[in-house]
Amino acid sequence: MMELLAALENSGFGVWLRESPSIWAYPAVLTLHTLGLGVLAGGNAVLDLRLLGWGRAIPLAPLEKLFPVMWIGFWVNAISGVALFVGDATTKGTTWVFMTKLAIIVVGVALLMVLRRTVYGRGETGAVETPASRVLAAASLVLWFLAIVTGRYMAYV
Amino acid sequence: MTEILSLFAVWLRGTPVSEAIRTSTWLWPVCEILHFFGLSLLIGVAGFFDLRLLGFMKRVPISAAWTLMPWAKAGFGLAALTGVVFFIGAPDQYIDNPAFYGKVFFLIVANLNAVYFEAMYRRQVEARQLDAGGSSTLKVIAIVSIVSWFFVIYWGRMLPFIGSAF
Repeated sequence: MMELLAALENSGFGVWLRESPSIWAYPAVLTLHTLGLGVLAGGNAVLDLRLLGWGRAIPLAPLEKLFPVMWIGFWVNAISGVALFVGDATTKGTTWVFMTKLAIIVVGVALLMVLRRTVYGRGETGAVETPASRVLAAASLVLWFLAIVTGRYMAYV
Repeated sequence: MTEILSLFAVWLRGTPVSEAIRTSTWLWPVCEILHFFGLSLLIGVAGFFDLRLLGFMKRVPISAAWTLMPWAKAGFGLAALTGVVFFIGAPDQYIDNPAFYGKVFFLIVANLNAVYFEAMYRRQVEARQLDAGGSSTLKVIAIVSIVSWFFVIYWGRMLPFIGSAF
């Protein structure tokens, strides 16, 4: 495992990302990762806040269009995240902070899918609010906050 | 001007508050977390409103989308407050950093844009006169908002890479 991580880190791409003085290397990838975070966690916050009772005048049905926006944020961060991992594989691949962050993201994404099914799963009959959708919204808000917490903590390991 | 700024940075760095921020092991990381949390709230809620002004999610009345805006303002307040903590803690790292001035420039643009929107349109939005949206001025305001917040993030991320790194 350690050899694999070292090979990743010492690959042409890994070295380039880490050592290139170009602002298109590490700085650009990190910028993308921050943007994706804002779009995913922020778009999610809009939906969660609405489900938790703020902005009640906003009809729920059109908010389903936030999901493709969140997915864009997710994929930008999945791809930029893989790049950042390759550049620092032996550190990130061996710390519990990173594993915790990954676990939080897996649960967060699964929760988003369940949330979508719960609220929008009825098809043409429109969106529904249930006690379950409120619990899911609260859990989702907490999880993406924890993803930010563990992500920031990565800078200190 | 640059000399005055450097003297100010030296003075600020020497204050007990600045030293307390630098020597605390937890304060800086906690402020970073809150800075990013505030950023997400701001980008999410303001971005949602901007998309609505641009014509997405047309079934959402603009007055309704507007009611979430206090959350964007809270996010901005959180990011601004924690940003001030960073500045007080290490003013020398910002004062001669070109990325800092890039960030401040776009913060000013983004805030003037928001203030202009409130001054010109808030009353109409709250009276539900703009619910259908449409005007091209509103779309320009939305684009200026998205672009300027993008560059606030971009220059913020560049702080450690251009100029004095930390």
